[in-house]
This record gives sequence, structure tokens and C-alpha cells, in this order.
Amino acid sequence: MTDGAGSDAPALEAWEVFRQEKDGDPMRHGGSVMAPDAELATHYAREMFGRRQESVRLWVVRRADIVDLEDPDLLQPPLDRSFKKPGGYVMREKLAAAREAAGQEKPKARSR
Amino acid sequence: MSAAAPPVTGLDELLLTMADDEFVIGFSDSEWTGIAPMLEEDVAMSSLSQDELGHAAALYGLLGGLTGQDPDAIAYDRRPEDYRHARLLDHGRGDWAMTIARRYLYETADAVRLEALAATSWKPLADLVGKLRREERYHLMHIGTWLERLASNDGEARDRLVAALDTLGPHAGTVFTPLGAEGSLVEAGVLARPMADLERDWRARLADTFEPLGLPLAPATMDPWLGRTAHGDAFRWLWGEFTSVRRSDPPATW
Repeated sequence: MTDGAGSDAPALEAWEVFRQEKDGDPMRHGGSVMAPDAELATHYAREMFGRRQESVRLWVVRRADIVDLEDPDLLQPPLDRSFKKPGGYVMREKLAAAREAAGQEKPKARSR
Repeated sequence: MSAAAPPVTGLDELLLTMADDEFVIGFSDSEWTGIAPMLEEDVAMSSLSQDELGHAAALYGLLGGLTGQDPDAIAYDRRPEDYRHARLLDHGRGDWAMTIARRYLYETADAVRLEALAATSWKPLADLVGKLRREERYHLMHIGTWLERLASNDGEARDRLVAALDTLGPHAGTVFTPLGAEGSLVEAGVLARPMADLERDWRARLADTFEPLGLPLAPATMDPWLGRTAHGDAFRWLWGEFTSVRRSDPPATW
């Protein structure tokens, strides 16, 4: 790779690319590209994450514009938080009792 | 399959010129793979080049359907002097500014040509042109971005771009070299208007972009009757490259 960055060349920066595989799917992080501005970032995102028709939509976001939160005091506090996890409660018996009281059958697994 | 006369006189020449244009620029620009100015652009330029080779394959396929020839044989088994691409594309890829200039001149000319074929009376070509135009729209966006970027940089980038446009200028209009049987193509509704008309439109559009950027407009075409023949040494070298694998083992199936 040649060094094309002259003194007046705009600086490259990172852009994060999110892609949607088909209509209705969530946007998922695909990766990132380096580009000097939004226009070229869009071109490169298209080439990296769309040239094989693997995406129906891309979001291209300047990495510097992303609000980054990784403070452990906020995200990984030291005290036990297991009581906040739904897995902390065994619901099966309570649910079965509630259904019986209401006279309802257990619903069948939903099919798509 | 026996060689049949094309449904319209001159249709075979039209397809061959378009296919050779796409093939030569696609192959030539693919030389940037691995050495483009930055990784992302490397992928982008390689991908665009592949698109052009794909367009060439589709056009050679239509031509092969008319003449009964194998599309690969048309693409690879001719002598250099039998290729019919525009002389604009005889210029080697040069530096990045040369590649951008050459591609910009070609893409804008190709866009005008494809417009003139959008309503072509020959259905197989109409179907293909519809698809080509959707891909070429992106190619135009990409190359337009680069042209403006180099032109707006007051320094080496702009100087190199201007130098490249000056070098290419005398051959810039060769995409519109009149075809031998152009009259019959226009009469049959294959081509909307003669090449000279299309060239006028293209030059007007080029002026709309180049004048605000202060870029040099292309002069009248040099030796216009040689616009798709008389290929020079740069093309002979490229031909040696793109036929080398095939020539290494002619009967092989790749």
C-alpha cells in the first residue's frame, strides 16, 4: 500500500457499518471502514458489505459520533445483581397454578 | 451452430465495440488490485473492474448468440489489432489520476451510449442495457466523487489530474467513433441516434462538470477514423497479459 496521505490530504477516520440482510431484519454491526468523509465511507461500505447483494440496507455511522459507554461502575457494578435476572425466578409452577385457576390450557408453541 | 447474419446489419459491430470497451477498461483497472491508494479503495476499484468484466461477458454472450462463436474465444483468441475498443482505453492505467481521468471520460461516455440504447428495438439488448444502467449508476457516482476530489485539491493531485486529462484529451471522444453500419442501426431503432449526436451531448455534459472545476475540456478527436483501431504498444502489452493464461494451454477448459 502506498502512502497517499499528503500534508493537505484529509485525515482518514473510522466509520461503523450496520447492515440489514432482508427487510424486517434488525440492523446488525457488519464491521468498519476507513474513509475521509461520509461520501467515500458510503462507497466503501457498499463495496465491503453490499457488493455481493448480501444487504438491503446499510447504516454508516462516524465512529466519533457514537456515544460510548463502558464505565464498569455503570455496567458491571460489584454487588450481586442476580435478583434482577429473570432466570432468578422459577416461574413454571406458579404459571401452571395460575393457568389452572383461570381454567386455561397451556398454549401451543407458536409457529411462524 | 452456424454463423448467421445478425437480425440488423451492424448489430454485431455495436456489440463487439461495447464488449471490448468494457473488457479492456475492466482488465486494465483491475491492475490496481493490491496497490490502490488505500485498502478500501483497493476493494472498490477491484469490484468495479469485476463489474465491467461481467458486463463484457454478457455482451460477448449476446454477440456469440448471434454469430455462433464461443464468448471466451471472442474475448481471448483475437490478435491485438482485431480488438475494437476505443483508443481512449489504449492509454495505460498510469498513476491514480490517470486512472480516474480515463475512467471518468469513459463512464460518462458509456452512460450517454447506454441511454441511447435504453429503448433499443432488439429485445435481448434492451433487457441487458436495463441491468447495465443500474450498475453503471453506481460507477458514475464513484468516479464522480474521485474526479471532484482530485480537482478540488490545490496541489499535486489536481496537477496530475489536469496532466492526465491533457494526455487523454485527443482520444477522449473515441467511444463515439461512428460505426460502419450505423445508419441501419438507427433506422431499425437499435440505436436512438447517430454517434456524432451522442458525442455532442456528452461534450455538453462534460463541460457542465469540468467548467466549474476549471478542468480542461477534451479537444476534437485526433484521427477520428482510427478511433477503434490502430491500438498502440500499451494495449499490446495489456493483451499479452490478459491472454497469457489462455495461450499457455489453449485447449484447456478453465
